[in-house]
Amino acid sequence: MSKVRKIIDEAKESKNPELDLVDKGISSFDEIPSLLTMLNLTRITLTHNRISVVTPALANLTNLEILNLFNNQIEELPTSLSSMPKLRILNLGMNKLSALPRGFGAFPVLEVLDLTYNNLNENSLPGNFFMIETLRALYLGDNDFENIPPEIGHLKNLQILVLRDNDLVQLPKEIGELARLRELHIQGNRLSVLPPELGNLDLTSNKSVIRMENNPWVAPIADQLQVGISHVVDYLRSETYKFVYGRHVSANAPAPPRLSERTKKSSKPKP
Amino acid sequence: MAKKSNFITLKPVESSSLYLRRMEEKTKQGVNTSDVDELEELMLNINSYDVRKTNENEPITKIPHSLNLVGFHDDRTNTDVNIAPKLPARNLKPNTNVSDMYKNTQCVRCDYGFEPHEKIVNTNGELWHPQCFVCAQCFRAFPEGIFYEFEGRKYCEHDFQMLFAPCCGRCGEFIIGRVIKAMNANWHPKCFLCEMCDKELADQGFIRHQNKALCHDCNARAKAASLGKHVCHKCHSMIDDRPLRFRGEVYHPYHFNCSSCGIELNADAREVKSRPGFTANEMNELYCLRCHDKMGIPICGACRRPIEERVVTALGKHFHVEHFVCAKCEKPFLGNRHYEKKGLAYCETHYHQLFGNLCFVCNQVIGGDVFTALNKAWCVHHFACSVCDTKMSQKTKFYEFDLKPTCKKCFDKFPAELRKRLKKAYEANPKKNSAAN
Ligand SMILES: [Zn+2]
Ligand SMILES: [Zn+2]
Ligand SMILES: [Zn+2]
Ligand SMILES: [Zn+2]
Ligand SMILES: [Zn+2]
Ligand SMILES: [Zn+2]
Ligand SMILES: [Zn+2]
Ligand SMILES: [Zn+2]
Repeated sequence: MSKVRKIIDEAKESKNPELDLVDKGISSFDEIPSLLTMLNLTRITLTHNRISVVTPALANLTNLEILNLFNNQIEELPTSLSSMPKLRILNLGMNKLSALPRGFGAFPVLEVLDLTYNNLNENSLPGNFFMIETLRALYLGDNDFENIPPEIGHLKNLQILVLRDNDLVQLPKEIGELARLRELHIQGNRLSVLPPELGNLDLTSNKSVIRMENNPWVAPIADQLQVGISHVVDYLRSETYKFVYGRHVSANAPAPPRLSERTKKSSKPKP
Repeated sequence: MAKKSNFITLKPVESSSLYLRRMEEKTKQGVNTSDVDELEELMLNINSYDVRKTNENEPITKIPHSLNLVGFHDDRTNTDVNIAPKLPARNLKPNTNVSDMYKNTQCVRCDYGFEPHEKIVNTNGELWHPQCFVCAQCFRAFPEGIFYEFEGRKYCEHDFQMLFAPCCGRCGEFIIGRVIKAMNANWHPKCFLCEMCDKELADQGFIRHQNKALCHDCNARAKAASLGKHVCHKCHSMIDDRPLRFRGEVYHPYHFNCSSCGIELNADAREVKSRPGFTANEMNELYCLRCHDKMGIPICGACRRPIEERVVTALGKHFHVEHFVCAKCEKPFLGNRHYEKKGLAYCETHYHQLFGNLCFVCNQVIGGDVFTALNKAWCVHHFACSVCDTKMSQKTKFYEFDLKPTCKKCFDKFPAELRKRLKKAYEANPKKNSAAN
């Protein structure tokens, strides 16, 4: 513990606005109280610790732009985080979040939100979640979403959307409104069709990436995927596909079964 | 010389109303008007009228004075017609007998005689009481003894100027001494200047061009410019055919010979810097087109013409400075930073607009070195492990996790089941998921 105190003291003395406390065995902010007085900090990295509760007082660090809490034990977040005036990057990946606090979507300037490898689903999101209009990257891989709310279409600045390895059974057509999207990760879900509106997006240029493997695609999509992603996108834009999609939706076929291997996710609460 | 019609002559002395009025007066008095010497009377300047009695037998007055002249211009010769000043003939006749003077004389102004030992002012033989020797206009003594005589009256400098002296068309001050009458106004010689180059025109003459007084050279230049032509810097006449540019000036090409073969040059001649990269154009030399082409002058990659001036070398080619432009907006870089991509150059704005080189972390345009990987870019400061924020270099091996770089230390801390899944996905799609590079 004295090691951590030494790091903080040194950072205070050197006035370094970036503080790294990676893999230091920290389990509570109570162990690092002086951290909350370092008002000049612009980045705090607390990756690979054992923190379970994020103190609301962290929001007093009003110059903070980057907060990295990847791989901790966080189950709940304080509402105060959303009011941090300069917070641009918030990494909460690999924690034990099963819900987000009310009003979580109030971040004024948040650009990158990483919630990878938690226990979130569409019911965990507060009503204003998709109001973070400044968001350019949203990482929701390794969670439990079956559906994505249509409000995702509000995220006009979104360039990166990662929904890898969830339980998605369908995508909202509003994803087709995310004009700046250039990275879409939907591999490892239970998707069999895609909304034709996805064809509106520029996902085949050399600056774009779409990952869609490991889904129970309907045969025509699976066939196109064999040839290449650009063929899938061309197919989504065709009249033929609109007909196939319409018929598929109206048939209201039961969703494909859950894939078994993800159920062992380590962030899952132990039964 | 320029054509007659453009040459505005300075007006003769007879066109001066001041002169005419003065001559009229002289004629009335029966003075010969052709006697130009009389001009000097116009501005008699007596610096002092100090009167003192020194000796009964010596002259009692001493009037030191100097003369200034008003000059008029003659249109034919364009030079002053004034002749060197002569002292007035009646000036300073010494009185040998002081008592005679008292007896026989009286003040020119008040007609009373003088008391013995009274101070007397004597100008040109006229005697005055000091209190009577005053300005005809303001009746005050002449400051510093300077007065001007005109039409038989004496004026202080101020009133003389107010009543008779011309004002300068440029500075607005009165003109004492030589007056230049031109362009319907009066000027000090120092104030009558060429409107283009500010050269004094009083002695070299001038040409009216679009109601401006210009010197000969500027008139030629203005005339050429109005015809869209140049004036040769050497012979100052208009260049009717194509001009030759050399060391920043424009010439008739035939004034020069090729620095290599000596042939008389035509407008196709090329100006070449004798030392590449040397900026002073005094080093430039002229060559005929044939000799120039033999010298291996670089050819512009854009317009395919030879580059005689500054050469920009980029993209493995040479360019005229003004032809090295952004591939998107076509504005020349003019020394500003450019960004190269696939054999094309772009301005910063368009490079980033087209290729998205904003740092993934700070979201700012990357000015210095750029790290590009995983469909993203980073500035030097922000290329780091996305999990632990530890900085990485080009040489650092990293894993790809959702198209973000992840250091080995962090990857090894991932849950085993995740590592297994990621590995499986990578193996199923090694090309697409091109990870650790
Ligand atoms: Zn006066
Ligand atoms: Zn003047
Ligand atoms: Zn010439
Ligand atoms: Zn030659
Ligand atoms: Zn060129
Ligand atoms: Zn441009
Ligand atoms: Zn950066
Ligand atoms: Zn790391």
